[in-house]
Amino acid sequence: MTEAAMDVQTQNKWDRASRTYDFFATVDDRRLGSEKQKLLTKACGKTLHVAAGTGNDFKFFPAGMDIVSIDISPKMLEQARMKAAAYQGSIELREADVHNLNYPDETFDTVTTVFTFCSVPKPILGLRELYRVLKPGGQILMLEHVRSTAIGPVGIMMDLMTQLTRQFGPELNRDTVSNVQKAGFRLRRVENVYLDIVKVIEALKG
Amino acid sequence: MLLQIGDYLAGAMIGVVTALIVRIIIWSGMDMVIAMLVGGGIGMIVSLLISFMLSPLLGIVETMVPGSLTGMYGGMLFAMRDSMAAGSRTMTAALVVGAIFGIAVTVVMKFYNHALRGTVMEAGE
Repeated sequence: MTEAAMDVQTQNKWDRASRTYDFFATVDDRRLGSEKQKLLTKACGKTLHVAAGTGNDFKFFPAGMDIVSIDISPKMLEQARMKAAAYQGSIELREADVHNLNYPDETFDTVTTVFTFCSVPKPILGLRELYRVLKPGGQILMLEHVRSTAIGPVGIMMDLMTQLTRQFGPELNRDTVSNVQKAGFRLRRVENVYLDIVKVIEALKG
Repeated sequence: MLLQIGDYLAGAMIGVVTALIVRIIIWSGMDMVIAMLVGGGIGMIVSLLISFMLSPLLGIVETMVPGSLTGMYGGMLFAMRDSMAAGSRTMTAALVVGAIFGIAVTVVMKFYNHALRGTVMEAGE
């Protein structure tokens, strides 16, 4: 895909965020690192990791895997390069837009995402694209933050805050569990990690 | 442990700053509905800014959720009280109420987290 065809607005947003991303993400790794590790340990076979960011999540993958890690932001990928080189296995970094992946149908055994689908502009379209590139029976492993439904005032607050946060970062009120199902996946497991906001979502193709 | 203490301090700080700005901006006799909306807006912005400032120390998610609740709903309540002159008489008292509100919201969120954590759906393969 050419750069012009990508979502330039999203690309610019994450290029800007790349400058301070690690500074802000370090403590979240301390809080949620064990959950990331537990989830990403389940990855197997040829794996597509969506939204490489600065490569913070690479250390949570088991050693020896064959991973393609994509991101829409070239600046993020620049920073991810060193962490990819330090991984004990194969990580190929690619600039790509999840809405339109340059891979044939049924390429990957596993797809992984960590706090990604709060920021994908068209989440169902992106998830359908991931469905397309997964092999039949392949799995998608997600750690995502979503809108709270269990605590009414929190849900309302997230709807209002999203009007601010979407200007420079993620949307806080996505219903990613439903979106996964709308894209065609069959849910295998959903786990609340923090309140009912941060969730592990595991689903299968077919 | 330090992160847990930090969560309560962050809640208190957001409550205090929201109460301070609301006390400065909202005057006694101001239309209560307008005061409530202004207070909620102030609280949202305050909580977002402080959450981002503290996120390198405390992480973003667990600071922002209770912090935003404190900011938005606390801002509304503080503004309603101030517009009716029904609240704290002195600035110090208003700030103490802000801190207590922030800590209370953080406590409630930790209880909710304890109740909600865990597997909510598991399908047989």
